[in-house]
Amino acid sequence: MEFLNTFINGLSVGGVYAMIALGYTMVYGIAKMLNFAHGDIIMVGAYMIVLFLPINPIVAIIAAIVLCALLGIFIEKIAYKPLRGASPLAVLITAIGVSYLLQSLAQAIAGPTTYHPNPLEKLFPKFMGEPTYGIIKIGAFQIKLSTLITLICVALVMIGLTLFVKKTKIGRAMVAVSEDKGAAQLMGINVNNIIMITFAIGSSLAALASVLTTFESASVETTMGSLPGIKAFTAAVIGGIGSIPGAMIGGIILGLVECFAQAFPRIAPYTVAIEFSLLIIVLLVKPTGILGKKRREKV
Amino acid sequence: MKLRKILALVLVMALCFGMVAVLSSCGGEKNYAENNEKIKIGISGPLTGGAAKYGIAVENSAKLAVKEINAAGGLNGIMFEVEMLDDKHDANNISTNYASLYEGGMQVSLGTVTTKPGLEFKGYAQADNVFFLTPSATGDDIPEYSNGYQMCFADSDQGTVSAGVFKDEFQGKKIGVFFKADDDYSVGIKNNFVKALGNALGEVKMASFTEATKSSFTQQVSELKDCDVIFMPIYTEPAALFMQQGKGIIKADAIYYGCDGLDGIDAEFDVSTITQGISYLSHFNSGATEGAAKTYIDAYVKEYGESAPLNQFGAAAYDCVYAIVDAMKYAIENNGAEITVTISASDLCNILTAVFNDKNFVFEGITGAPGENGKSTIKWTDAEGNATNGHVNKTPVSYTVKGVTVK
Repeated sequence: MEFLNTFINGLSVGGVYAMIALGYTMVYGIAKMLNFAHGDIIMVGAYMIVLFLPINPIVAIIAAIVLCALLGIFIEKIAYKPLRGASPLAVLITAIGVSYLLQSLAQAIAGPTTYHPNPLEKLFPKFMGEPTYGIIKIGAFQIKLSTLITLICVALVMIGLTLFVKKTKIGRAMVAVSEDKGAAQLMGINVNNIIMITFAIGSSLAALASVLTTFESASVETTMGSLPGIKAFTAAVIGGIGSIPGAMIGGIILGLVECFAQAFPRIAPYTVAIEFSLLIIVLLVKPTGILGKKRREKV
Repeated sequence: MKLRKILALVLVMALCFGMVAVLSSCGGEKNYAENNEKIKIGISGPLTGGAAKYGIAVENSAKLAVKEINAAGGLNGIMFEVEMLDDKHDANNISTNYASLYEGGMQVSLGTVTTKPGLEFKGYAQADNVFFLTPSATGDDIPEYSNGYQMCFADSDQGTVSAGVFKDEFQGKKIGVFFKADDDYSVGIKNNFVKALGNALGEVKMASFTEATKSSFTQQVSELKDCDVIFMPIYTEPAALFMQQGKGIIKADAIYYGCDGLDGIDAEFDVSTITQGISYLSHFNSGATEGAAKTYIDAYVKEYGESAPLNQFGAAAYDCVYAIVDAMKYAIENNGAEITVTISASDLCNILTAVFNDKNFVFEGITGAPGENGKSTIKWTDAEGNATNGHVNKTPVSYTVKGVTVK
């Protein structure tokens, strides 16, 4: 039972990482850049929930996702598009700059207060209150409503995204752009539009991740996106950056490692160290990540 | 060439000696209190900023104590006064504050209200041999030198003292500990707690978090879900998140027991939906309805109104002032000490340290568990009569926020 509990916790934690990692990996696959401001989109999404929750929980969730998608497009247009073709280092530094800009703006606007919004409590006030507290019990097995929703959301997103990439015109255009930007352009694909759509999808997934975190009453503060962002990046690299199923697998692995490490009191304090050691091991053994493609370098 | 080198060397040495001479004349034996008309008690603490409520309570309470003492005739006619300067809970302000207080005639001090500035303060106070008894700087190293004393429990003592409470109150219960693995305060208390508890209550279940994993406690909650009492030597923010995420999973009648880090949790967070009990180790019950604590609370509210901050910091400061004055009386009566209104800080320090290290000096105050007469007994010596190096020896009280009252 303990094992099953930890396993489910791991899946739900990992699912959220996977969702953020998808944003990293898609942007990397298509624009060939590491968008380090991606983690801070989570933070912006969470603040949107804080802002709109008093109106209505559904409105808050939709607003968070839509506004973050728009923010993603805006950042891409303002900060990254002018650097298309610049050295990767310049783009990377710009991304880090955007990350700090978002954090500082949030600090300036929202102040130092830590918020604990929970849309789930507003959506299901009865079920989240006494005596159930949002726990679903089936015999000896129990699962939190928030965990269940997270697992369902993650599964839906993964299936949806896979179908989107494989079956739709835009999805296939994305694959084409990631394979060969020049050739895709010659075939009549508007590369700029595809990159914009990628940023929009990535950012809305980050916003969805922030919605799922607020379901657990997480603390909303200006630096809340940094660590999940870095962990999701790690997940993307473990899975093989650029690969969509890779990001999913990487995220889940990281979540499971995190929860199982915390289940042992002796090693629990070193959870984060263990997670990042995993990254180092993967990079040493299989530098392209679990599902990463090997690129043949022509000399 | 050689001559110039020698000349340069001589000049440099002259400069060095000059500086030493200037410095030593600064710190010399000058008695800044020679023009005092009252014995001056100096304090540095936050009067503005985030921690202001603690500093203001200390200032109010110290002034209240002085007012009462003076009204009762002072120390054989010698009156007292309090001077408090604002340090905004920032150690950078201490050098200025200390100099203003000391050169302004401070003869004895309550040190600082908080630990970080206190670690700065103790060095200056040692250099000038100024006695201080801090109400609330809990750091283990605050009373490092012979002139520093604490009215509050030191951080590491809180673990030992909590273990004592657990042995008395929670026999036969399953105990869990939830601590922050990368925080000195939390780990220090946890280690002392575990050591002092030993095997008295069976196996203790552990769960921890770090700065990097403080946003979700899903896993930690499931680790501790079978515990009856969860000891959490952490601050209010993560504790509140743990309680929130533990709803419905942690036993409904479990007790969360913390240390002074949990002070104020009910004011900062809405704990009304938490079914579990919440208590923390304290040395003062700000909801006391009887005894000396109640007398103090009434006097405080009468003097400063309902809205003035009332907390254990203030209560401890009130005790500090009385303890210092009591120690002076003790010195005059038992040690034949001569205390005048213009006594130098250094002379007073020598008199006071002798008293505070004396096993027969017992102060009766409002912090700590009250005895039959409504007052607590407070000493700075242990059961064997040895001086405790400035650490306080008194019985703690648990402050219950909600749920079953823990004694």
